[in-house]
Amino acid sequence: MRRHPKGGRFYYKYKREKGTNLKSPQNVEVYIVDDSCILKWSGSDEFVSNVTFSVDYQIPEIDDWIKLPGCQYVTSTQCDFSSLQLNVYDEVKLRVRAEKGNDTSPWYEVDSFIPFQKAQIGPPEVHLEAEDRAVILNISPPGTQDSVMWAMDSSSFTYSLVIWKNSSSGEKRTETVYPRDKIYKLSPETTYCLKVRARLRVQRKVGLYSPVSCINTTVENKLPPPENIQIDSNNWNYIIKWDYKYENMTFQAQWLYGYLKKFPGKHEDKWKQLPDCENVKTTQCVFPRSTFSRGIYFVRVQASNGNNTSLWSEEKRFDTEIQTIILPPLINLKSVNGSLRVYIGAPKESENKSVDQPYRLTYEINFWENTSDTQSKILQKKTDFTFLNLKPLTVYCVKARALILEEKWNKSSDFSDTVCEKTKPGNTSRTLLIAGICIALLILAAVVYVVRVLWRCINYVFFPSSKPPSAVDEYFSEHLLKNLLLSTSAEQIERCFVIENTNTVSAAEETNHAGEDYKKYGSQTSQDSGNYSNEDENSGSGLSEEVLLQGAV
Amino acid sequence: MSVKPDVIRKCLWPACLVGLFITGILSLDCNFLNIHLSRVTWQNLRLLSVMSNSFSIECLRENKAFELPEEILSHTQPVKNDIKEAFYEASIQAFNIFSQYTFRSAWEEKHLKQIQIGLGQQLQYLEQCLEEEEKENEDMKEMEEEGTKHSATMVPRLSHLELRRYFNRIDNFLKEKKYSHCAWEIVRVEIRRCFYLLLKSIALLRRK
Repeated sequence: MRRHPKGGRFYYKYKREKGTNLKSPQNVEVYIVDDSCILKWSGSDEFVSNVTFSVDYQIPEIDDWIKLPGCQYVTSTQCDFSSLQLNVYDEVKLRVRAEKGNDTSPWYEVDSFIPFQKAQIGPPEVHLEAEDRAVILNISPPGTQDSVMWAMDSSSFTYSLVIWKNSSSGEKRTETVYPRDKIYKLSPETTYCLKVRARLRVQRKVGLYSPVSCINTTVENKLPPPENIQIDSNNWNYIIKWDYKYENMTFQAQWLYGYLKKFPGKHEDKWKQLPDCENVKTTQCVFPRSTFSRGIYFVRVQASNGNNTSLWSEEKRFDTEIQTIILPPLINLKSVNGSLRVYIGAPKESENKSVDQPYRLTYEINFWENTSDTQSKILQKKTDFTFLNLKPLTVYCVKARALILEEKWNKSSDFSDTVCEKTKPGNTSRTLLIAGICIALLILAAVVYVVRVLWRCINYVFFPSSKPPSAVDEYFSEHLLKNLLLSTSAEQIERCFVIENTNTVSAAEETNHAGEDYKKYGSQTSQDSGNYSNEDENSGSGLSEEVLLQGAV
Repeated sequence: MSVKPDVIRKCLWPACLVGLFITGILSLDCNFLNIHLSRVTWQNLRLLSVMSNSFSIECLRENKAFELPEEILSHTQPVKNDIKEAFYEASIQAFNIFSQYTFRSAWEEKHLKQIQIGLGQQLQYLEQCLEEEEKENEDMKEMEEEGTKHSATMVPRLSHLELRRYFNRIDNFLKEKKYSHCAWEIVRVEIRRCFYLLLKSIALLRRK
């Protein structure tokens, strides 16, 4: 045990091993500002001289500790390890120990850290240029141009500025500024002081303030710059308007890509002329929408009267998205069965290209009968819908406009052209019509059929067909048939001749009695069918024949 | 040899999906700017697909896995703001990367300008949006005042660090390949993929 010379306190040492006389460095801390990486510590014992320190480092890929060049056996209590060319996003481990002679203290290991995370944003560099009522800023990002720490952040810094008048009141004004920017609304011939610091929003890093710089604004310029720039738009053009105190001036306007503002450095040469706004005599200028593709731009205006030119006006930010104009839609009407179908189409630009309208649009449709004045309004999101239950054969008119109805942002287009269309006859009358037509056809068919039947009847009655059926033809000759058919009307009469006279009369009386039997016989035996049919007449002839026969017997 | 039809086909599908998912962004706590933000973001994504005429097959050989950090895209993000900030960070880095483009012949000047303008717009809206939220957030004000106190407030922003490392890999890749045409093509496709996945995560988060 050793008695410590200081104040009588006893320091108990642990095992007397090699290198354990010394205590490790205390209060070891890492300070990183921009690219300067410094390890600081304090020796355990300020009064002991001839103590040196060494620092080692370790990176993830290599397992061993590596001696930090320039920080071996140094007497100072800090070490700059900026030159290590570390990847600032990788973990690093450091350790430090004290040495005296042959004794070494135990290593003090610093918790592993990521340089980028530990890094503090240093002060930016500020250059100033004075105008009469404004100060032009030129801010260089923290660190050097080849900064390793901020290599990926050169355009990511956002800057905030504090400015005040150097006089007694010193009211401070804070603004967020671009690397190349202007502070407006200052008074001429006044001293202003300001300081700027950079910020990385996502990493929650706030930088150190730059040293305060002061500047005097100049004498007031003869010609003030144009003020109060407003940018409006209509369907085809953008209109820039501004105010100016004096008459008879000519103006010109320039524009700049918005994104260029994020880059430090000069872009005075990047401003471009607005061709339609060169040397305009009025305090406004109009240029077509096609000049700018979608994006954010800055616009500035300058006045001149031949001899003198004013300074540039305030740079007005101009966003085509916010200035967007909704064009009125195209309407197509189609009358269908007593209702009206409406098609809302996308508007077309003059060159017949259909316009890209990606916002969700709501349509306000005005709808009225042509003859009446009352209009009904409905809001619709669909582009294809139908008005039902309309009066048939009436003319209805429709006009519509497109709206964007979002929180805090209302925009509407102009009304489209009015389109009118007559509704078709209604459902019921139409069905009647169809029914009527069908019935008429049926009736016609029926009439035709009836007429055909009648005609056949008439034909049958008055103009019969004279042809007998063919079966009959087979059995009868044509001639016989004719006779049979025709003999109904005319009959042939046979002539009878008496052959015997009176002698025969008595015989005839007897024979009369016998004749009666003969008559019977005659009637029975008469074979002549044809003669039978006319019995009265033929029997006479038959009798005569019998008499003849009797006579012969 | 151009694989343009394939690339376009591959792009249309995610672009459409993003279009559908874009509505997810609208509900995050920013005011009407969200409408513009979503529109602009989608347009930028589309532009990233369209700005190149052809993706040569030979460039595929130089393809490298950049290992987009999946934790950022996980749906277990407790705070919606985290992913919006991640998106802001990705937008800034993409903006920085495209600002370095000097290879004149491959991409048309107007497309390059448009993507820079578009990303600038996206950044502008995101910044305004985050600023608004910050003003509402009392905690942030305390940090603003303590300018000298360096980030002992190690609120673990590890997800952002991972994102940074990812973009650092992309940056180094470009430098290694000396900003060749193929390197730019690969980077363009990679950034598009990153945006798409971030937007998808935002939309999915919103549904929770």
